[in-house]
Amino acid sequence: MTPAAPHRWRIEVVRDATPRRRALSLAAVMLLALALCGLLLRAAGADPGTALAALVRGAFGSLNAATETLVRATPLIFTGLAAATAFRARVWNIGAEGQVFAGAICAYGLSHGLAGLSPLVQLPVVLAGAMIGGAAWAGLAGLLKTACRVDEVISTVMLNYIIVYVLSMLLLKGPWSEAGGFFEQTAKVDPGSVLPVILPGTRLHLGFALALLAALAMQVLLARTPLGYEIRGAGSNLRALSVQGASAARILILVMILSGLLAGLAGATEVYGVHGRLKAGAITGFGYAGIVVAILGGLRPWGVVGAAIFFGALVNGGTYMQIKTGVPSALIYAFEAIILLACLAGWAAAGLRIRKVADAV
Amino acid sequence: MLSDLLQMSVLASILAATLRIATPVLLAALGELVAERSGVYNMGVEGTMLMGAFTAYLAADGTGSLTLGLIAAMLTGALMSLLFAILVVTLGIEQIVTGLAINLLGSGLSVFWLRAAFASDAKSPTIALFEPLDIPGLAGLPFVGPVLFQQKLVTYLALLAVPAVWFFLYRTRQGLELRCCGENPKALDVKGLSVAARRYGAVVFGGAMAGAGGAFLTLATSARFVPEITAGRGWLAIVIVIAGMWRPGPVLLATLAFSFLDALQLQMQGIGIRVPYQILLAMPYAVAILALALRRRQSGAPEQLGIPYIRG
Repeated sequence: MTPAAPHRWRIEVVRDATPRRRALSLAAVMLLALALCGLLLRAAGADPGTALAALVRGAFGSLNAATETLVRATPLIFTGLAAATAFRARVWNIGAEGQVFAGAICAYGLSHGLAGLSPLVQLPVVLAGAMIGGAAWAGLAGLLKTACRVDEVISTVMLNYIIVYVLSMLLLKGPWSEAGGFFEQTAKVDPGSVLPVILPGTRLHLGFALALLAALAMQVLLARTPLGYEIRGAGSNLRALSVQGASAARILILVMILSGLLAGLAGATEVYGVHGRLKAGAITGFGYAGIVVAILGGLRPWGVVGAAIFFGALVNGGTYMQIKTGVPSALIYAFEAIILLACLAGWAAAGLRIRKVADAV
Repeated sequence: MLSDLLQMSVLASILAATLRIATPVLLAALGELVAERSGVYNMGVEGTMLMGAFTAYLAADGTGSLTLGLIAAMLTGALMSLLFAILVVTLGIEQIVTGLAINLLGSGLSVFWLRAAFASDAKSPTIALFEPLDIPGLAGLPFVGPVLFQQKLVTYLALLAVPAVWFFLYRTRQGLELRCCGENPKALDVKGLSVAARRYGAVVFGGAMAGAGGAFLTLATSARFVPEITAGRGWLAIVIVIAGMWRPGPVLLATLAFSFLDALQLQMQGIGIRVPYQILLAMPYAVAILALALRRRQSGAPEQLGIPYIRG
């Protein structure tokens, strides 16, 4: 028997990955991700089949469950759109988390003095406040980048930590804390500022319709407007764009502001659509989850909506799963990360192939 | 009030606390420094530290050995970074996004595992902490003794790691090759040396260091794991590498400066200075932004930082 010719495995880049190849590779990695999630369920001492069935039932089992899934998806649509918009332009806004806080704080700050007035006055103030707050907090990071060359990844993360303390300062024995209250939260907001329910008998509120509207607006903006062209251009070929006279600094600031105002709206929908009061627990975690949603949605507005509903279902079903099987619902966050990693790997793997090459001797 | 802060004994306790607070950040920053010098921008430090903190706690609680806890944390950190390296070095995926995914993984997995292992956060047992290790002959010195020589073992190791990393990077052939990966990977490739292997090595080392940093939080500070115990220290490590211009000495200085601020605010809280404590807690993050905004030059970053190397 002759020894095999010396060879090794080499990874090469495929320049023309077909959509079919991409879909196959993504499906393969997603299966792997599901298997991993199953393993985690087993590790938690649950039967994966039963647990998954409980998860699906909890997410879509009844009208109530399904609308609750949409309620959970609402802030994720906003933060997902925020991340997608920024990432499309290759602006790494990791600060949606803090911009959600800023939006909620600004909305509350501007509107809590208007108690008793008509919803027609209060609601626009709430929404405008959320957008202003989110946009300002994000715009600050944009300015730091253009004026002081501070990497936006770092500044947005630092701003995420800072705003949590700002809120805490306002709420803990601060100017906004509930009178006589023990918890770090405001009193209930005025009924006139609450986002109305759009499907009677459920908790599905106006915020969900606004989120869909925002997705539509982003779709049109990205596909049909000069700014959208610039955003897409900034993502693929910034140099070509500057030759045409677009300013990179201007695009960066605009993208940050747009991204921030979308994230800020998530703060308003949670405070004024779900919890009815401002507290950190009501608005935590949506920013980071939004990044996952954006990537899973392929950085496209309608993809983001789909991914957000998927994640809303996971979170909503996860609670039911915990009640039924005792599996901690925190598992959902590990799921999110695994799905994100699988998604990234699937994309990349579609563009690579492994080939046996003869060893150069 | 100010005179309280200026007393020698108070100053000594602030400085001793500075070194204690610096330890986890310094370990993570040195690891990140090596990874970045090889050209890989690992933004997953926070999640890696978090998993390190958790597995250290779990292992120490299970075996009763703090050393095993530390080793478990380093192994976990190395594993997390191996996963990161496969994704960014071999598959060439965007490093920033992958790093974020690693953070989410660390944060989700540690909380899930904590809840799965113990009925509730409050019911998780506390563990014995690393005892301070007095250096014979030096610990008794006035002022210097309590500051420098009554620290815990991991703190000494972290401080010793600074010259060790410096020596490796600037005085060994492997260190030179690793820096070359970050500046001009093609040159290595042309010589038949593997860029990927060196980047894997650097990233996995960084992960082990981040794991050790996380371990310090549970094994030497807190005695129990609480969700998000790292509280941004992993991100601070990344800031410190930038502020330290990608060099071990300045990285140590930057770490000490941030930790001193933190120690100072603890002391100010202790003696009841009337500043809202949230302002003191937010200070390191604000100072991090200021430090980056005010630095005079951008240089020092490896030429190829964050750019995947694709052969051919």
